[in-house]
Amino acid sequence: MKLKRRTQPPPQETIVSLIDVIFFLLVFFMLVGRMDATAPFEVSPPVSAAGESLPKGGTTIAVAENGALALDGEAIERPALLAHIADLLSKKPGLFVRINAHGEARLTNLLPLVTALERAGVGDVVLVITPNPA
Amino acid sequence: MKLTRRKRNMALITMTPLVDVMMILLVFFMVTSTYLDLDMMPMVQSESEGVAAPADPAPTLLIRITASGEARLRGQPLTAQSLASALASQPRARVLILPSGGANVQALVSAIETATKAGAENLRVVRLEAAE
Repeated sequence: MKLKRRTQPPPQETIVSLIDVIFFLLVFFMLVGRMDATAPFEVSPPVSAAGESLPKGGTTIAVAENGALALDGEAIERPALLAHIADLLSKKPGLFVRINAHGEARLTNLLPLVTALERAGVGDVVLVITPNPA
Repeated sequence: MKLTRRKRNMALITMTPLVDVMMILLVFFMVTSTYLDLDMMPMVQSESEGVAAPADPAPTLLIRITASGEARLRGQPLTAQSLASALASQPRARVLILPSGGANVQALVSAIETATKAGAENLRVVRLEAAE
């Protein structure tokens, strides 16, 4: 006797759940990531366990190991940088400035800059550090 | 005469190009982002401006940072214990960090960390002027 196998219809794969998952992942990466312009030179911030959480927003000044400066990812000289900061400050008085300095940068390249920023009227300047869990 | 409109089939929207675009966006964000865990240390705070010198000046503990990056308190290498014991004998003392311009940022941050660990509350960094 010959048994005839019943032909089953192919299972319906819905693509909708896949789209949902991809969409959630996309939104997650867009929300979690903060788009920051990276400096045109290498900056590895100093390591310390005594830091506080870094707030979002503001302007980033990067200081390279050799003292080169960058404002929001664009290399800039110090006078132009201060002029730009003064310009930003006139538009937004409560300007928040992050200084992303290389850990090996000399303090002569950092502390006078902080003083100049304070003189220009910036009331909120922070130094970016890498947290050390130890 | 009554004209009957021919029923048109509903246009079928295919999902595949949408998924493709989303996939490309997802891969773009995953590849271009670098996730860094960063903290901060305040350097200038607006509320600390305009603080008048107290009538009864508090004693000062001076931490010097040499050009080689070594932090010293009263001529001895700075440790959290030495600063904590100095602060215990002078509880109202303010801690002043005087860094050499030749020291690096890491040395300053480490000194601030040690001072914070020792419980220094009134902590200030002497800032250098720019050579114009």
